[in-house]
Amino acid sequence: MAQPAFPAKRYLKNKTLVIGLMLVGLALVSIVALTSLSASSIRGASSAIDPGPRPLPAAAGAFYTTLTPNQNSVTARLTTVMTEVNQVTGGMQKTVGLGPGFNSNSCTSCHAYPANGGTSPPVNPLFAIFNLFGGTNTMPFFITTNGPVLVARFVHQADGVTPDGGVHNMFNISNRTDAPGCTGLVQPDFSGEAAKGNLINRLTTPTYGEGLVELVQESDIVANLAANSSLKQTLGITGHANYSGDDGGINRFGWKAQIRSLVYFSGEAYNVEEGNSNEMFPNERDESVPACLPPFPVGSTFHTKGVPDDRVDTGEAPKRPVNFSGDLERFGLFMRFLQPPTPVAPTPSTTNGQVQFNNVGCVLCHQTSFTTPKSSIAALSQQTATLYSDLAVHHMGPVLADGIMQGQAGPDEFRTAPLWGIGQRLFFMHDGRTADIVQAIQDHFSLGNSQYPASEANGVVNNFNALSPTNQQDLINFLRSL
Amino acid sequence: MTEKSRMNDMSQQSNPSRPVNRLALRVFVPALLLVAVFGVAITYFPKNATGRSPLTSAIDPGPRGGAPGAGGFLTGLSSNEKQILPTITTEFSRAHDVVVTSPVDGGLGPRFNSNSCVSCHQYPAAGGSSPVSNPLFSVYQLRGASNTMPSFITTSGPILEARFIHQSDGVTPDGNIHQLFTITGRSDATGCSISQPDFTTAQLTGNLALRQPTPMYGSGLMEIIKNIDIVNNMNANLALKQSLGIAGHPNYSGNDGSIQRFGWKAQFRAVLTVASAQLNTEMGVTNEMFPTELDQTPGCVINPLPETVTNFTPGILTENFPGDAERDMLYATWLLGPKAIAPTPSTTNGQTQFNNIGCVLCHTTSFTTPAGSRPALTNQIITLYSDFLVHHMGPGLADGIAQGGAGPDEFRTAPLWGIGQRLFFIHDGRTKDLVQAIEDHYSLGNGTYGNSEANSVITNFNALSTTNQQDLLNFLRSL
Repeated sequence: MAQPAFPAKRYLKNKTLVIGLMLVGLALVSIVALTSLSASSIRGASSAIDPGPRPLPAAAGAFYTTLTPNQNSVTARLTTVMTEVNQVTGGMQKTVGLGPGFNSNSCTSCHAYPANGGTSPPVNPLFAIFNLFGGTNTMPFFITTNGPVLVARFVHQADGVTPDGGVHNMFNISNRTDAPGCTGLVQPDFSGEAAKGNLINRLTTPTYGEGLVELVQESDIVANLAANSSLKQTLGITGHANYSGDDGGINRFGWKAQIRSLVYFSGEAYNVEEGNSNEMFPNERDESVPACLPPFPVGSTFHTKGVPDDRVDTGEAPKRPVNFSGDLERFGLFMRFLQPPTPVAPTPSTTNGQVQFNNVGCVLCHQTSFTTPKSSIAALSQQTATLYSDLAVHHMGPVLADGIMQGQAGPDEFRTAPLWGIGQRLFFMHDGRTADIVQAIQDHFSLGNSQYPASEANGVVNNFNALSPTNQQDLINFLRSL
Repeated sequence: MTEKSRMNDMSQQSNPSRPVNRLALRVFVPALLLVAVFGVAITYFPKNATGRSPLTSAIDPGPRGGAPGAGGFLTGLSSNEKQILPTITTEFSRAHDVVVTSPVDGGLGPRFNSNSCVSCHQYPAAGGSSPVSNPLFSVYQLRGASNTMPSFITTSGPILEARFIHQSDGVTPDGNIHQLFTITGRSDATGCSISQPDFTTAQLTGNLALRQPTPMYGSGLMEIIKNIDIVNNMNANLALKQSLGIAGHPNYSGNDGSIQRFGWKAQFRAVLTVASAQLNTEMGVTNEMFPTELDQTPGCVINPLPETVTNFTPGILTENFPGDAERDMLYATWLLGPKAIAPTPSTTNGQTQFNNIGCVLCHTTSFTTPAGSRPALTNQIITLYSDFLVHHMGPGLADGIAQGGAGPDEFRTAPLWGIGQRLFFIHDGRTKDLVQAIEDHYSLGNGTYGNSEANSVITNFNALSTTNQQDLLNFLRSL
């Protein structure tokens, strides 16, 4: 990585910067004050304007053109499984197993934009899903028609002390006609939990290019963390990997880098988001009402006979063809075969924007690229993944802190979100709190409090705010080119 | 609460059928304290810890002879499932070199503990645990590998893997597996030069924790036991458990909030996770769940990653068949649970004693599987003798390693099914003597850890008549 030409002396002496800092401080006070209401429209000390998401067509969502013929021969089936709509029972083959609790009924409903595999679309899909088949769910207050798809986690358990951190499903299958006999499941009291400050939300992460991310070597991640250490120190940047307790490798997926690999991610999401138990997470998550567990008393062959809802096929209905992987492996393959987003061709503005991105220090965490090692999947072998992330977690201060620990990621730590594809992204930050990329940058700034230290990004956000309006705008344009 | 008053509680509340003799208590409690002191002392000299407990004259009849009471697949597999049994058996059994030379598979290393699943999971039948004769001696220097054998691996001792408690700074927790061997020197790994960890120093500085392989029989059944059944069982007999000092809690998965159930600390949720993790941590075979090598020193990452993937090659049976991790998962999922032998009057009384003195409060007799999508696993009563919970076991067993919700002195209640033919006991295989294994559950607290939750039950065991003790041992060896 090229040494960023960061003008440290200017930073320390520049009056503009002092004023900028004060403004940021002011903004921060307002942010803190308003966080409990809505922090969605607070602007920081920048006159740059987010040009908004680049319009469709999608610059992402295609499979690698370098897949082998045999790999290509299964991509249609992988797409089918990614887009299939799950019911509790009675659907077409391979589309059963929803619930008892769920957040949505297909992978693609949340991983929708700008193309299959992505993230939250402009129109929230959950309104068309939550009461299918006679379901009697109420929509949680934090889900809005034009807002992001979110999941809910609780910081503490009911005692208010014991850490929780788990996903609490928004919806359940009670009273659905495809879940005969199932009644009495109760949605969590999201309003009550929010009133207690116990509710946090997370936005869907996009999956393009993740096959490359999965293969990045730990040694490269660690070496990158150790690079430019004095510059990072000056800016208050540290960061560390979230290591897996399973094999000691580095976890790299999810907002807190809590997940090790794509299969892992698939298995978890399938059970947690759709309620499809599978060979990694073989039980239903809510076992409180026996009548809401498989098998359901229906005549159709299209229902799961029990847990796990999904498994490696051996040819029995409702699964075929013979000996193909289960859905969780198929999801893994789907994501593995998805190309990274393609940035638009550079313009003078975006080229300067990238220079500024590097100079102010964004790049110290949003590391431009890693190169994958030799891979048994040729399309992924020795490729440059231009993902703009160091795959490490960083302290982000009280404003972003969500109070949830995951593995070695603390309650105020988040993975450096990869920026590839951000040009067409609609919602930003882990909880989708803003659709404005300028605001998203300012949201990286947060002074410490008694609970959490200052955000590691403070120095860099100060630098950004000290840039000329033109340079700021170019930087924003660069991001929207990705 | 003192040991004595706890015992009195026990005699009054939980075990009215067999009141504990107060005189015996006066003898046994001080004796136990002595043993505990001895136990603490010998922890520092683990090689000497094989001596017999002076507190019981019952004798471990030793591992049961005769045909293996385990191994083989579930009855009730579908014809399609049966069709792939040879494929998954081959995968489980075959050796791995660094580079594929069919029929030997590839992917070994850069660091490894052994070269096939079955080498460590082999006794009394494939899928089991450590065999009579340690297989690592025929593995570690294959193809010219320049490994030395760590001192804790002996020809007739258990297979063990090594974990370090702390990283090299002596402070930061480690807890990871440090593989015994490397591929350096092997003819199929030229260009890779890495050293084995310094186990001698780790052992001298108290930084070494050892674990033996766990048997895999019945894993598919254990995997689908409902979380709610585990929790309900935890909450049963609370007063009795409390009076005995027994608590215990699940090691919850941070991923979906369900209860993990495999491994010495219940650190794994599912068979697939175990199979995938162990392919990488035990053999160095990278796979779709753990796709990067554990040592990335240039010259040592020899194969393209991951080394086993979904098979896209067209063809009958192998078309689109999952990779080795899924095959190993299927193998373990479809293994029968161990079968106990027919009861005798002695084993029947032994089970009564096992229940009366409170062993059963953690070593829960059985669970019933829910409706399973594999009919062979549906509604099966599995007599595994475990509650799937982790319990504080005191300084005597504590290994200093935290895994998820399991603390450094906590261990999963080891399932006892198949223990009749087990050769080595306790997480680090410290004894072959079942009596000693029982006594090893007793440990008084120290400045770092509390008492073992098993103390009162062990005290109860030691207070049994010799006949009852012997019957209890015979019962265990019948499993």
